Amino acid sequence: MLIIVLLKGVPARTTQVAQVGGVLNREAMDLVLNPHDSKAVEAADYIKRKVGGKVVALTMGPDMKLIPLMKPLFSAEVTGVDEEYVLSDRKMAGSDTLATSYAVSLGVKKLVERHTAPIDALAATISRSGYSDPVMSKARELYGANLLPNRVYSELPSVTDSLVRRFSEGVITSEEAQAELREVKETLSRFVIVSGIKTTDGETGSVGPQVAEGVSELLGKVVPHATYVEDLDVDQEGRTVVSSRRIGRLVQTLEMDLPALLTISTEYEPREPAASFQPLARYNSYMGKVAQAQKWTADDLGADPKRLGLAGSPTIVGAGIDVGKPPVQKFVNRSLVFLKPVQQLESDGKKYGPFERGQLAADVPQSLIDRLRAEGAVGPFGYDLLCGELLA
Amino acid sequence: MSADSKDVWVYLQRDGGRLSEDSLEVLAAGRKVADKLAQKVVGVILGEGVDGLAAEAVQFGADAVLYIDSPELGTYLNLRYIDAIFSLVKERRPYAFLFAANELGKDIAARIAYRAATGLATDNVLLEVDDYTNPALGEFKNLLIQIRPDFGTRLARIYTPRHRPQMATVRPGNFAPLPPDKKRKGKLERVEFQGGEYPARVRGVTELPPPALDLAGADVVISLGLGILKDGSGKPRDPREAYRLADDLRKAFESRYRVRGVIGASRALVYAEVKELQGLISKANQVGQTGTTVSPKVYVALGISGALQHRVGMQRSGKIVAVNTDPDAPIFRIAHYPIVGDLYEEVPKLIASITGGTAGAN
Repeated sequence: MLIIVLLKGVPARTTQVAQVGGVLNREAMDLVLNPHDSKAVEAADYIKRKVGGKVVALTMGPDMKLIPLMKPLFSAEVTGVDEEYVLSDRKMAGSDTLATSYAVSLGVKKLVERHTAPIDALAATISRSGYSDPVMSKARELYGANLLPNRVYSELPSVTDSLVRRFSEGVITSEEAQAELREVKETLSRFVIVSGIKTTDGETGSVGPQVAEGVSELLGKVVPHATYVEDLDVDQEGRTVVSSRRIGRLVQTLEMDLPALLTISTEYEPREPAASFQPLARYNSYMGKVAQAQKWTADDLGADPKRLGLAGSPTIVGAGIDVGKPPVQKFVNRSLVFLKPVQQLESDGKKYGPFERGQLAADVPQSLIDRLRAEGAVGPFGYDLLCGELLA
Repeated sequence: MSADSKDVWVYLQRDGGRLSEDSLEVLAAGRKVADKLAQKVVGVILGEGVDGLAAEAVQFGADAVLYIDSPELGTYLNLRYIDAIFSLVKERRPYAFLFAANELGKDIAARIAYRAATGLATDNVLLEVDDYTNPALGEFKNLLIQIRPDFGTRLARIYTPRHRPQMATVRPGNFAPLPPDKKRKGKLERVEFQGGEYPARVRGVTELPPPALDLAGADVVISLGLGILKDGSGKPRDPREAYRLADDLRKAFESRYRVRGVIGASRALVYAEVKELQGLISKANQVGQTGTTVSPKVYVALGISGALQHRVGMQRSGKIVAVNTDPDAPIFRIAHYPIVGDLYEEVPKLIASITGGTAGAN
């Protein structure tokens, strides 16, 4: 199964956020992997261990910054990713969630094509060449590029009945081999996309569901999604995914046909896959890991430039706003306030007041304040006054 | 879909037999925006047996309600809800469309925005209406100004100048529901919807027990931050002492003012997983953007510096008291009653003052 994990590089520190006109300049900042994404990697890993396949990371942003971030995901023995694809292009800079989701959806479509095309190519070679060396060499080439699952062709000693082997040994005919390859292609179209519930920079949580919608549009079929997934399982044939997801105080159990997209909650803990799944998982898996990241530009994706970057972003981030400052602030033990009601006062021909108890003595001339303080009518705002004002 | 769009739509959710609290808040937000635009507020309700909710929406501020009442919608299947709502959007072209920024609202709104090829500003804490001029795009009259936390460092204005509807989710706890008016009149319109087959099925729904700690509903919230780990002289202190002080303060408030108090915490303190506070402070106590948004009558911040993530979760509190040794702590910018000092000295004085007041009253 093709398991696609959406990852994002986010600013490492909120104290060092580089912005140009409301748009993050990711090239100028230290980035870390979005912390919520680790749960998506765990979910992807669980699915791979149960049904096999390949975990592919898909990310978007400056490739020079993102590729080093993904490195640790390749060195991990158990969890982690097998391949990495970075959508990187100046034309994508400044994308809001809509433009981002469009680009990522194109990336998903291209990933699926990248994995189904070799199956077609092998089928074509079989159809053209019959029992012959070209089939074997084509299979070997594609397997080496990590593009054929073990069930089609394998160099693992434990896999003795790959499709190409059975074909070359005459166990199955050319027609049977092609029919089987069509089935393999069909299973590859039942991919799964997992992502974190949100990123720590934008915190919108919108890109997951929007990618499901974008992929639906591009593939011409409905790709369902589930957000806030706390538990999930896939059936062994890789046809459906059942998830438990939070909706307020409710937990909904949702069964989705694949392909589908899930955003994985921080509450998610992977299940333990049964040992009996291992042979099947191996059968459906690929040669191994390809640590060399692949970069795709807007042109590689065949993107409509009007739907990318600032041009493709309906929202504009404007100026910041300062809200919340109260009209009156009283510092305990510091602000001078009237300690009792005071009638209207006159000083240098100007009138002041009258004043209520607790009122700030702010706009009163210093000479008057000095006098009022001496009289005990003005003093620091104390706890007794505070208590009176808190829950009057 | 820009030129002839009109009306402010609000998506309303149910909670049992009534409109949910979050929905009443979104309705109030929609009312505020629509009044400034001189447009109508239109409630959108989906479900089975929802005609009573439609009438309730009018009492709480809607001018009109579009509702789809169907057994098919008795269970929440997101794809079906999205199809149904999008069909209304496509046909009637609202000017703005607001949703609650909760799991359900965000689940629906994101996909609808993509399908409508429009923007979505999430988690707004404030909504305004104003003109907007952009050097490249020109001048726009009466836009919805969407105000949300931006990269955790500030509140930013988000504009959706060229696309309709302008879609936004509204963070719960930032708008007070309008008082119900049983005499209000509004147009209730039932709409039919024919859903299709979907590649997803709801297999079950279970309800979680209500949270043990009702932060959002408390009258008084006393919150602790990382500052409790040291006193004014910089000496380490056992944070349990601060917890006890906060709890004494809570009890003092409760007995003098007959209110309900709850202990809160900043994200920094919750994430620090301080050993001494195990069993006392957990994620359930967390106030802020990733925790609960609160707007109690009185909010007391003890040793909380006041990062934006915290402030957006409590800045609507009636009276904010903040104790911090750092006079430049951001929390002081929004506090009605800043107390620059050591909480280990100041809180006992506040408690004495409150309980002394009780004695005085007797």
